[in-house]
Amino acid sequence: MVQREESAKAAAFRAEVRAWLEANLPKGWGTPEYVPLPRGSREAHEFGKEWTKKCYDAGYTGFGYPKEYGGTERPREEIQIIREEFGRTGQPPGPSSLGLLIAAPTLMAAGQEWQKKRFIPKILSGEESWCEGFSEPDAGSDLANIQTTGVRDGDEWVVNGQKVWSSASAFADYGMLVMKTDPDAPRHRNLTYFFFDCKSPGFSRRPLKQMSFDAEFGEMFFDNLRVPHENMLGELNRGWYVAMATLAAERGGGATAGSGGGMMAAAGGARGRMALYGVSSIIELARETKRYGKAVWDDPVFRQKIAQIAIEVEAASASGQRMMARRRKGQLIDEMVSITKNWNAEMRQRRGDMVMEIIGAYSQLIRDSKYAVNDGTWVYDMLRSRGATIEMGTSEINRNIIAERVLGLPR
Amino acid sequence: MVMDYSFSEEQEMLRTMARDFLAKECPKTYVREMMEHDEKGYSPEVWKKMADVGWLGLVFPEEYGGTGMGFRDLMILGDEMGRAMLPGPFVSTVLLVGMPILMAGTEEQKKEYLPKIANGDMIGTLAVLEQDGDLWPGSIKTTASRRGDEYIIRGKKLFVPDAKAADVMLCAARTKRAEEGSEDGITLFLANAKDHAVWPTELKTMDMTRKQYEVDLNNVAVPAANIVGELHQGWPVIKKVALQAAAFLTAEMAGGMDWVLETTVEYLKTRIAFGRPLGSFQALKHRIADVCSDCEMGRSLMEWAALCMNSDSTDVPVAVSMAKAFCADAYLRATNAGVQLHGGLGFTWDHDMHLYFKRARANNTAFGDSNYHRELVAQYLNAEVL
Repeated sequence: MVQREESAKAAAFRAEVRAWLEANLPKGWGTPEYVPLPRGSREAHEFGKEWTKKCYDAGYTGFGYPKEYGGTERPREEIQIIREEFGRTGQPPGPSSLGLLIAAPTLMAAGQEWQKKRFIPKILSGEESWCEGFSEPDAGSDLANIQTTGVRDGDEWVVNGQKVWSSASAFADYGMLVMKTDPDAPRHRNLTYFFFDCKSPGFSRRPLKQMSFDAEFGEMFFDNLRVPHENMLGELNRGWYVAMATLAAERGGGATAGSGGGMMAAAGGARGRMALYGVSSIIELARETKRYGKAVWDDPVFRQKIAQIAIEVEAASASGQRMMARRRKGQLIDEMVSITKNWNAEMRQRRGDMVMEIIGAYSQLIRDSKYAVNDGTWVYDMLRSRGATIEMGTSEINRNIIAERVLGLPR
Repeated sequence: MVMDYSFSEEQEMLRTMARDFLAKECPKTYVREMMEHDEKGYSPEVWKKMADVGWLGLVFPEEYGGTGMGFRDLMILGDEMGRAMLPGPFVSTVLLVGMPILMAGTEEQKKEYLPKIANGDMIGTLAVLEQDGDLWPGSIKTTASRRGDEYIIRGKKLFVPDAKAADVMLCAARTKRAEEGSEDGITLFLANAKDHAVWPTELKTMDMTRKQYEVDLNNVAVPAANIVGELHQGWPVIKKVALQAAAFLTAEMAGGMDWVLETTVEYLKTRIAFGRPLGSFQALKHRIADVCSDCEMGRSLMEWAALCMNSDSTDVPVAVSMAKAFCADAYLRATNAGVQLHGGLGFTWDHDMHLYFKRARANNTAFGDSNYHRELVAQYLNAEVL
C-alpha cells in the first residue's frame, strides 16, 4: 500500500516479479471479468495445485526450508519483495491443503529424516495435499479431550473415532491425526501425533457446509483404519506437545496472511485480493459507491473508518517486520504470534462489517445474484471472517495465551 | 521496502543509559515534586545533567554544539522519557525551538541558539495555538506589524507549554492580511520570553507534569533579524515542526504504554482476591491481553515512523500520521484499562496510573488528535490509490 524507497537492484527484481505475475496470473485476474472457480470444488482444488507448482518452479515459494527438503533459498529482501508483489496483485487460491500451513512445519519440527525428505518437497510444490484432524465433536478449544483412539497391533495402529471441522479434508492425499494412545495416562500425556494416507481402507470423509455457503472443512471417520507405526510424528504419548508446535505454526501463517505479508513458505496468503490487499480496493469501492446521492469516500465518517483499517493493516505489517528483527536477535517470545493472529482475524471482521456499511442494501446479495457487488466477494469475506476468530485457536484462547505465555499471568 | 527494525549496539546502549539515568534522576517522587510544588515544572540540576549526557543537542550537528545523532535516536530518548513520565520543557525546548531553528534558521541564529540549547543554558517554547485550540492557519489572529527594524507583536496565545520556564518564545503571528485559513502571511518570530510585554498566566491543566500557559503579547518588540525562516512563510515550518513533535510524542506514548502494561501485569500477579491472584481471572486476562496487543501495534507503527524520520523518507507524513492516530487512541485505551484493573487503587491520587492517564489525554490532542491524523491518512491514501 505505502510505497517505500528502495535500491535499483531491488527495484529491478520487483519489476521481474511483477512481469512474471502479469504473464502467469489467470486471464482477467484482478478485473470483474475474472470468474473464480467455485470455492471448495474439485476444479478449484486442481487449479490451485497447478498454480502452486508454477510459483514453486519459478522460485517464488518454498522459503524457510533447507534445500535438501526442496526449499528455495533467496536473500531476505527478495523474499519480502516477492511477498509484497504477490500481496499487491493478490493471487488465486492454492489447493485446499494444510500442507504449507501445518504439515511441513510439523514435519520440520518433529519428523524423522525419511519423513522430511519424502513429504516436504511435494508439499512445497503443491503436488500432495494435506488435511488436519484435531478437533472432535467434544474437543474444540479443549483439544486435550480428544476421544479418537489408537490401539497398537504389531507394526500398525488401529484407529477408531471421528474428527470434525477438519480443514481441507475433502481432497487431501494425507491427513494429520492426533489420537489417544494411552487410555490411562493423564491429560496432555496420552496423545500421539500420526499422519495417514487418505486412500487407506477404514477412512471416510464428508464435507461440512459452513455459514459462508461453502465447504472448506469436513468430517472424518475412522473405522478400524490401520496406520503404520513409522508414520508417528514425534514421540509416543507426546502428541499434545507436537500439536502445540503445529498450532503455533498455523497461527504464524494465519497471522501474516491478512496483512499483505504472506506465509513463510507460500508467496502470499492465497486468499485473493480482497483479503490481502483490502485497503485500496475499499477506497475504490468507496469512490464508486454513492449513498444518498453522495460518494461514500467524501463522507468524513467513512473516511475515518477506512483510514483506521489502513492504519491497522500497516501496524500488522510493521509488527511482522519488527518480529522478524527480534527473532533474528533471539528476543522474540514465540507466543506473540497470538497477538498477530487475533489482530488480523478481528481486523478482517471489522473490515468486512465496514464494507457492508458502505454497500448498504446490496450487502444482502451473495454470489450469482444479479446485482451482487463484485460477485458477492465482499459479502463472502465478511461471512468467512467469522471463522477467522475461531480457527487456529479462538480469539479467547489466544488472549489466554497472550496473558499467560507472553505476560506471565498465572493459569 | 524491507526495513530493518533492529537496533544498533549504540542504540541499545543509548536506551540502557537513558533508562538508568531516568531511574536515578526521575523517580516518581521527582515527577510529583515538579508537578505539585515547582512553579516551572522542572529542576535546573536535572536539566544540566541532561545537557551533560548530550540529550539536549542529540540531533544537532556537532558544529552547533550537538552530537549529530539521528531522529530515531531522539525517539529512543522519547520512549524512555514517556515511560519515566519526565516532567519539564524537553519537547518545548528541543523539538519546538531547536528543531525549527535547525530547519529554517539563519546561520547566525543556529550559531547563537543551538549551542545554548545543547548546553542547557536556554529554555524555549513555541506559541502557536490561539483561542480555537486547533492547529490550522485560520487560528492565528495574533499580528506582527513592522516598526523600523522591529516587529510589534500583539495578541493572545493559548496552550503554550512551559512559558514561565522559557527564555525564548517562538511565536507565530500574521504579518499580512490573507483569506481565513490561508497559510500565506504567517511569520515565526523568536521573542524574548522574559520581555516585560510577555505575560504568561498558568492554565490549570489536567496533566500537571507539563505546564501550559495563556500568554498575552502586549506589543512585544522583536528585531526583524529574529524572524525564523522567511517572512510570511512560517506556516510550512510550523507544519514540519508539528510533524516532528508528533513523531516524538508517539515514542513517548509507546514508552508510557509499556509502563502501564508492565505495572498492571505486576499488580495482576500480586494482588489477591477471592483467594487467587487477580491475573488468574479470565476477564482480566483478556483485558490486559488487549493492552498488550495495543502496545505491540502502537510500538510497531512508532518504530516505522522513527525509521522513516531517520532516513528522511517520503513516507514520513503517512507514517507519522498513522502512528500518531493509532498511539493516541491506544494510549487512552491502555491507561483506561490500567486504572480499571487497579480498582480503587487505580482511582487514587497517590497511585501513579492517573499521571499516565492524563498524559495520554494531553498527548492525544497535542499536534493533531487521532481524528485529525486519520483524515490526513485518508488524504495520503487518496493520492496513492489511483
